[in-house]
Amino acid sequence: MNIVSSNSALAIDVRGVSKVYPTPSGDFPALKGVDLTVRAGEFVAVVGRSGSGKTTLLNLLAGIDRPTSGEVWVAGTAVQALGESRLAAWRGRSVGLVFQFFQLLPTLTVAENVMLPMDFCGVWGVRERRPAALALLEQVGIVEQADKLPAALSGGQQQRAAIARALATDPPVVLADEPTGNLDSATADAILELFSGLASAGKAVAMVTHERDLSGRAHRTVTLADGRVASDVAASL
Amino acid sequence: MLRDFWEARGRVGLMVTAIAVALVGVGALLVARAVITREAAAAYTSTNPAAATLDVDGGVDATLLAQVRTRPGVIDAAARQTIATRALVNGQWRRMLLFVVAPDDPMSIARFTVQSGTWPTSDDALLLERSSGTVLNAVPGGTVQIAGPNGPVTAITVAGLAYDPALAPATQERTGYGYLTPSAAQRLGFSPMADELKIVTARDPSSVDSVASDVAAWLTTTGHTVHQVQAPPYQHPHQNQTNAITGLFLAFALAALLLAAVLVAATLGGMLSAQTRQIGIMKSVGATTGQLLRMYLSATVVIAAASTAVSIGPAVLAGYGLVGLVAGLLNIDITSLALPWWVFAVLVAAGIGIPVLVALGPILRAARVSVRTALDDHGLDAATGTRRVDQWLARLRGSRTLMLTLRNLTRRLGRLALTVTLLAAGGGLFTASLNTSSAWQAWVDNGLARRTYDAEIQLSAPAPAGAVLEAVRGTRGVTSAEMVTTLAVTPADASGRIEVQRTYPDGGHGRFSLVGLPADTGMLHLEVLQGRWLLPGDSDGVVLNQGAATRLGTPRIGDTVHLAVAGRVGTWKVLGFVAEVGGPDTAYTVPDALNPYVGVGRLTGIRVAVDKEDPAAAIARVEASVAGTGAIVASTTPTSELRTAIDQHVVIFIYTLTTLAVLMGIVGLLGLASSMSITVVERRGEYGIMQVIGATPGTVRRLILAEGVLSGFLGALVGVLIGLPLSIVIGDFLGRISFGLPLPFQVSVGGVLLWLGLVVAGAVAATLTAAYRAGRLTVRETLAYQ
Repeated sequence: MNIVSSNSALAIDVRGVSKVYPTPSGDFPALKGVDLTVRAGEFVAVVGRSGSGKTTLLNLLAGIDRPTSGEVWVAGTAVQALGESRLAAWRGRSVGLVFQFFQLLPTLTVAENVMLPMDFCGVWGVRERRPAALALLEQVGIVEQADKLPAALSGGQQQRAAIARALATDPPVVLADEPTGNLDSATADAILELFSGLASAGKAVAMVTHERDLSGRAHRTVTLADGRVASDVAASL
Repeated sequence: MLRDFWEARGRVGLMVTAIAVALVGVGALLVARAVITREAAAAYTSTNPAAATLDVDGGVDATLLAQVRTRPGVIDAAARQTIATRALVNGQWRRMLLFVVAPDDPMSIARFTVQSGTWPTSDDALLLERSSGTVLNAVPGGTVQIAGPNGPVTAITVAGLAYDPALAPATQERTGYGYLTPSAAQRLGFSPMADELKIVTARDPSSVDSVASDVAAWLTTTGHTVHQVQAPPYQHPHQNQTNAITGLFLAFALAALLLAAVLVAATLGGMLSAQTRQIGIMKSVGATTGQLLRMYLSATVVIAAASTAVSIGPAVLAGYGLVGLVAGLLNIDITSLALPWWVFAVLVAAGIGIPVLVALGPILRAARVSVRTALDDHGLDAATGTRRVDQWLARLRGSRTLMLTLRNLTRRLGRLALTVTLLAAGGGLFTASLNTSSAWQAWVDNGLARRTYDAEIQLSAPAPAGAVLEAVRGTRGVTSAEMVTTLAVTPADASGRIEVQRTYPDGGHGRFSLVGLPADTGMLHLEVLQGRWLLPGDSDGVVLNQGAATRLGTPRIGDTVHLAVAGRVGTWKVLGFVAEVGGPDTAYTVPDALNPYVGVGRLTGIRVAVDKEDPAAAIARVEASVAGTGAIVASTTPTSELRTAIDQHVVIFIYTLTTLAVLMGIVGLLGLASSMSITVVERRGEYGIMQVIGATPGTVRRLILAEGVLSGFLGALVGVLIGLPLSIVIGDFLGRISFGLPLPFQVSVGGVLLWLGLVVAGAVAATLTAAYRAGRLTVRETLAYQ
């Protein structure tokens, strides 16, 4: 299969994707023939109840999991066709991931956490990495925390650091899994503001959330129910 | 619980293996010690050795012997003769002891077992003690070239082999042992005279000494002169050394078991901390601390019991292997490999008891945790980043992956300490054993370098010094020669009472010599520990080596000591103490001081230095020159033979020490493997995150490998440091039981490098499985763990 798409304007292109998990009580279909596209500069919220397939869809987009059938194209690459090693390298350069629990490496400082993807993916020259990391931390508003360990930061600051890390290799796609689930509402607003800004800067942003209220900040809201796209509504911004 | 064990089967396997490996060491040494102690004692007593041997001037005839048997306290008696001579083996002389036994001797005392051939032998044959075969290069049916009292060599047929476990092995003493009849001795040129009166008494030392002294006194009153009374301890000549050293090794093996138990405790602790929430859930549905305690203790007992079960067989086999090795070295037959019940009891008690006791701490901690604390547990990272060490390490700058490795290393300081301790213990012992071996070599090298002669030739009787020295110095190949006069002496007390000698029948173990040599000797440069060396006028003074000083009750400089030569007690002033490698307990004095015993201007031996081109030929020419003066050579001891004899006494201990060190090293590496395995489970989520941000599985593998190797290297380095004081302790112990002085401190650079290399390679191997497993985890699996 050709793994480079000709339609590069689509940052995310999910075509008839199904995902079935074998369980002791039989196969469990988490996704059933899902189609989804996200363009560069779009901020899409994926909402739905617990078990609707949101996180499965995000995992497929990030190459963390593979579809049972269908195709997942992200940043012009057929994700399902990549092996683990190539997938890791591709993911590092093409996708920035933000998690609910921040997932910063606790033994590295905030700046080092941001520089680590640059090391892994070989972006920027060795001496340019720290200035680049500091610029990103400046962008998310926590540059003064650069040399602290994550444990010394508040939850909101840690999530900002995680976003800076997600942007470290300047990926075209940013995926967020319940990024505000562990934050107070004021901090959550600030984080959503950051995502909006990223979309404005041309990145495709897909955010999974079960908090329907938050979807109002996105350009589109895709609702999943029982593994299918129940609705795909553009916001009236 | 069983499912948890199955999930963590790799770590359970490591715990079982670590305990089993250590238990094999403990078991093998227990088995060896139990069997060897019993069998060596049985073998020695089976010969019914004489409780005391009295050297009676003029010999002991049948009438006298019958009278001795009626003396109070004497259970049995026999008259024998021992001839010290030498044998020519492939052109070289070897020391040879001939034990002369009358054909009608009932062999009820100091008996030997005929293993091949028949006893008594014919007049032209002898039996060889079986350990002499390699020393004399002789087999039954062949011949041995034995020097007679007047020099000529006579070939005598080896009629068969005898087994005499009362003697120190010939291979270690570099001495041949033969058994022959008086007629055969006469055919070799010796005068048969049963001048050794061997008596059996009650075996307690006070009875032996008192009965032997009474018999000696009675003999004196009947007109017989008793030169010497020998009463060796009632045990194999090497029994004490064997007991002491197997005891030391057993202690090391138990230390290895203790470390393995600590490993189990730490691994269980790791597993339990991962189950804290599960424990909280169990408690929230009604489980009591007692129930949880019983559950986890049962699990520990199962692990320990499994280890014990798998280790008993190999332990017994390894123990039997060690028994065979030591039995060979002691020259004893093992008549029974039966093991006393307590060996198994100790093994089972140690195998189960020690791990359970050590694991009790972490299990108690885990079982006592409150429900709230347990349910609030978020695993590994609660503390990371808040400690002072984290803040300090965060200030370090460098490669991110290096920083990550370095900082991850300190996340579980307790576990790091355990890994380092395990490896350090193994490394300490490993390097200490090689350091000790190196110190041994250095000590012997140094000691022998202080003897600048190539051979010592002893004469069968005092000879004119001038004539012998002139002849020897004029011999082709001789670069220098010096006189030496050696007399067998017995310590005595101020009243003139001669001490009972503790010399064994081989004449070596327990021997005490008085040696006269020029004060300005150019051939012996002993290290003076205290006082001073001899001066030409010191005709009433002695310098004592460490063994002699101990035998004489550790006198001080200037003290007076009493030494008896052939029943005549002399008084000597102590001038100094010297350290000496090899040789018996010796008091050194100047030749003139021995004139009263050997005559003016006479010597009993010479030391020669010869050309290095063909030393054996030069020494042979020296012997011919000595013979040309009419003197009779009794023995020739090349200095190189002394080296072999010294090394033979200690080689088994160095090997066993190194084997134990390897054992502890294995436990250490298993600890590292266990530690890394827990680490991988704990940090699974982080490896997933790294892969999310672009790390390939190979990068993750390399990070874990680096952490493992760094832990290993740290442990190895600490081990090397611990090895330094340990080397001093072991060297002190080994040196004192061998030479009466501690071995010098010596670092084996090769040993240190070998250990560092082995640990790095071992760390790679130990970490590889964990690293491979981490690399294989998919991102979904790792994140699902969060």
